[in-house]
Parts: sequence; structure tokens; C-alpha cells
Amino acid sequence: MTGLRVVIAEDAVILRDGLAHLLGLRGHSVVAAVGDAPALHAAVAEHGPDVAVVDIRMPPTHTDEGLHAAIELRRVHPGLGILLFSQYVETRYAAELLAGSPAGVGYLLKERVSDLDDFVDALNRVAAGGTALDPEVVAHLLGAARRDDGLTSLTPREREVLGLMAEGRTNAAIAASLVVTERAVEKHIANIFTKLGLTPTGSDHRRVLAVLRYLRAP
Amino acid sequence: MTQVPRGPAVRRAGTEALYLLVSAPVALAGLCYAVFSGALGIVLSVTRLGGAATAAVLRGACRFGELHRRLAAVLLDERVPAPGLPRTRAGLRAWVQDAHDTSGYRAFLHLLVRFPLAVLGVAVVLVTWVYGFLLLTYPIQLPLHLNEITTRDQSGGIRKGLVVGGFYFDTWQRSLLVALAGVVLLAAAPRAVRLAVRLDVAVLRSLLGPRPDDARIRDLERSRSYAVEDAAATLRRIERDLHDGAQVRLVSLTMTLTALQEALPDDTPEHARELVAAARTGAREAIAELRELVRGIHPPVLDQGLDAALATLAARSPVPTELEMDLRVRPSAAIESIAYFCTAELLTNAGRHAAARRVAVSAVQPGDGTLRLSVTDDGKGGARTRAGGGLAGLAERVRTVDGELSVLSPQGGPTTVTVTLPLTTS
Repeated sequence: MTGLRVVIAEDAVILRDGLAHLLGLRGHSVVAAVGDAPALHAAVAEHGPDVAVVDIRMPPTHTDEGLHAAIELRRVHPGLGILLFSQYVETRYAAELLAGSPAGVGYLLKERVSDLDDFVDALNRVAAGGTALDPEVVAHLLGAARRDDGLTSLTPREREVLGLMAEGRTNAAIAASLVVTERAVEKHIANIFTKLGLTPTGSDHRRVLAVLRYLRAP
Repeated sequence: MTQVPRGPAVRRAGTEALYLLVSAPVALAGLCYAVFSGALGIVLSVTRLGGAATAAVLRGACRFGELHRRLAAVLLDERVPAPGLPRTRAGLRAWVQDAHDTSGYRAFLHLLVRFPLAVLGVAVVLVTWVYGFLLLTYPIQLPLHLNEITTRDQSGGIRKGLVVGGFYFDTWQRSLLVALAGVVLLAAAPRAVRLAVRLDVAVLRSLLGPRPDDARIRDLERSRSYAVEDAAATLRRIERDLHDGAQVRLVSLTMTLTALQEALPDDTPEHARELVAAARTGAREAIAELRELVRGIHPPVLDQGLDAALATLAARSPVPTELEMDLRVRPSAAIESIAYFCTAELLTNAGRHAAARRVAVSAVQPGDGTLRLSVTDDGKGGARTRAGGGLAGLAERVRTVDGELSVLSPQGGPTTVTVTLPLTTS
């Protein structure tokens, strides 16, 4: 597998360098590491990377610059994978970014770099157009209640499966995680689609819709 | 009262008399207002409108008081500062409550007291200035038959001219005595008028002026507002410092430990590998703990606004939560923080104590300068504000910004807690 070309937007130099070093260990190259949103836009335009790792809080206001930059990047460069990299779980961040389509988007807490395999795996998924949501983000969204949208009728097991789908796992990975057969996972997913009223028009699309329904802001 | 030079003394005497004359109709109008509106207020006080009606009456009385203060300022140069609250709190309830303070009652009392004073004032002006002038000009009036008084004496003869105790001022020599009396009256006029004015101003000061505590209250309110906002700003700064400092260090440490793990040669003893793994886990947990701590200090999402923060709270709530928001004006940082922590605590209560299955949170701005937050759950009800309890703590916190917390929680539910906050602290 050839290494990914990565752009990092993160205002703490020490973290930029640390992340670049770790990604380098796995054969990925950081083509640019920048400290704010305008520099991020310029770097993406110049280098055309596979994926951008974006800190949510960046100068000048240190609130949600990274999020706005990510939304803008998705508009300008639809094929670009974007991994939000934050110290906080704020479901609104995720919901805003996923409002269009969850393909090629990730949201991980910074401490996830402590497991390099998982982290690089998530980065690969995002670069390939998949999703990668932090288990914390998913857990918070699980607690979220929504009005009558079918989610309340899901069994605990189905909610668990849907949560793992939202994290961006494949059926095989979900089966491994729940210690069940892949066949059982497929059954659960079929039930989820039925309960959410998603008609069979191509399972990938429904998968995205189910996750979207699940992530929709309250 | 300051000593004034002789020239302006004449003008001053004039304006003082003018004040007594001009303020009299105002006093009459004030008395009529006090009697009628007071009666109406008493009638309405048995209805639900009572509070609002008396509030309107008292606020009207304050308006009259303001008019009196202004008259005194313009004509007498007596500047009496306004009493009572330095600011008007937002919201209809506060409008009603704030009216029922001592300054309102004092203004109403002033309306009642001012009228006899006004009668006295007008009488003084009439007796001294007007009669003085009339008596002074008596020697001219007598031969011209102006203001002629016709009476019959004891013997039945017709006599013309002033008569005092059977003594007739009907010759020019005697008319000079009358003129002399006029001179005495006119000479006494400025003093008499001044006395009346002084009495009036003294009453004005004591009933419409500030009380000694008012300035201190104003001061305390200002400093409290500063303290509350400053605390909010400090917490936010601490959060920033943690985010840019300790948290970055810990993430960096995690990265280094991860790199260390990768760099371990294949023949590293299992024991050493385990130590590195334990260090990584420890660093990761420290980051998570710090994150929870920061959320308790100042949730970063508050920087995006209260709507974003409440949405995140609702999403994280253990009980399914519906959220309704209509926030047009952004409140000050301290208010947003209090609203956020109140909602967080109330949501926790709903899940922990009330055994609720659904919660509805609403945050609206009714347009009267307040933020109204209400959290309703379908739990078992019976929530009370007990001393030292969670709700009492919230109420205390809300009171630091002159907000209000009310609990409606019959046994068996549902429970509604409403928090009303001003949009700003000052």
C-alpha cells in the first residue's frame, strides 16, 4: 500500500511535529503542516493531499475555525478526506460536518493517537471515502434522543450495531467487535433499515442514510 | 443654602414665588391622580391584576416625583438625585416587583403630602406679594375708587375704604398707614416665600431623594456585576490555558510514548513493553479526566453560543431530551454559563432523581430582556427546594445575577423548573 499524502492543520507546533513523526513511521508523508485555516486552504490547493487532519480550535478565535474550514474544504474539494482532530466531543461539531454526507469524514479525539494502528486505520478509511467517528462521539450521540424517527424502536443490540456503523466499521469489523457472525450483523442491519423505513435502493446508500439519521442534530 | 449677592436675590425671590405658583397645579393633579388611581388600585388588588395595577400606580407616582424634582431643579436650582434602583431589571415580573419598593411608596406619599404644602405655598405668595402690592398702592386706589370697599358704619352712614376693627382708612393720611403695612408685607415676602420653599424642598428631599443606603446598594450591584462577569472570564481563561498548555503537553506525551512503543526493538523484554503500554494508558486517561474537568469549568462549546452548548447537553443527556430554542440576542458570558450549568444540573436531576423518561428543554427570549429557560420532565415529581439541596444551590447561583428559579413539581409529576435570567448582569 502506498503511503497517504497528508496535510495537518494544528496550531500547536509540538503536536504537528509529533503527528508528522508518527505518520511517517507508518509510511505516510505529511506534505504540509500549517497552523491556521487560511494556510490550510492554501496547502490543500497546492498539494492536493489524500486527507487533511484538522484541529477544530485554531487561531484567531480558538473556537471552531477548523470546523468551518473543514466544511469549506468539503465544498471546494469533494474528494478530500477530512479527519477532525479535537480535544473535545461536541456532537454539534460532528453533526455540522456530517450534515451533507458522512463519506470521507472523521472525528477523532486527540488521545486516539495512543493506538497508532487504530489511528492510521481511521485515517485510511477517511482517505478512502469512509467514516471514522470516535467511540466517545458515538457514545454521546447514542444518548441523544430524537423525536419519532424510528430510532427509539431499535433494540439495544441494533443500536450498538448502528453505533459501530457510525464509527465507520465494516460488517466484518462489527461482527468481530460484537463477537457474532457476519451473517448476524447483516440481519441486524436489515432490521435497522426496516425500522428506520429505508427502502432498498442500494445498501451503501442506505448505510449512509441510517448513519445520518442517527447523527442528525437533535 | 448658599449666600447669594444682592442683585440675583430679587430674581431669586421671583423664581421662588414662581415655583410655588407653578408647582401648585402639578400638586393638585398629583393629588387627583393619587386618590383616583389609589382607589382603582385598591379595587383591583383583589383580582389577579392587583400586582400589575399597583405597580402602575406606584410607577405613575414616581413620574410625578420626577416632574417635581425637575421643577425644583429648573426653578430653584435644587438638584435632588433620583432614588431607588439605578437600573430597571428586564421582564414583566421584575417590572411589577421593582415598583413595589420604598421609593415607589415614598413617591406616592409625597403626592398626598405635597398638596397641603402647595396650598400653603400659594397662600404665602398671595398674602405677601399680592396683598403687599395691593396695600402699597392703596393711596392711589382710594382717590381713583379702585377696589373700593363700601360698608355701613354703626350710625348707618355709608363709608368707603378699608376698615379694620371699626377704624376706617378713608383719608389720604390714613391711607399712607395702609401703604406702610404694604411695605412691611413686601419686605417680608421674600423671607416668607423662602421659608415655604425650604419646607417644600425638605419634604421633596426626604420623600423623593435617595436614601443613604441607595448609593451603597448601587455600588454593591455594580461591583457584584463586575465580580460575576470577571469570574466567568477567568474560568474561560483557565479553560484556554489548560487547552493550550497542559492538554497539549499530555497529547504530546502520548505521541512520544506511541513513538517509543514503535521504536522498541524486537528483543525488548515483555516487562518493558508493558510499562510503555501502561504509560500510554495513563496519559490517555489523564487527557480524558482533564477533559471532564474542563467541561465542569467552562465547556468549550459555550464559545459557539448557548444554542450550540444546549444542543450538546441535550445530545449527551441520559434521558431522551427535546430541545426548543429561540435565542435572538446573545446573553453575556456569565449568563450563558449560568444557563448552561443550570440546564446540565436539571437534566441530571431528571435522570437521577425523577426517573423521567422524557425531558423537554426550552430556552426562549420573550422579548423583555430576559432569557427564560425551562426544563420539564415526566418523572415522579415532588421535587422541593431544600436548604443545601441541588435546587437551592441552583437558585443561589441564579440569584447572583438577579435571576429567578421556580419549581412546579406536584407528587406524581410532571416537574417543571423555570429559570428566568436577565440577558446582561448590569
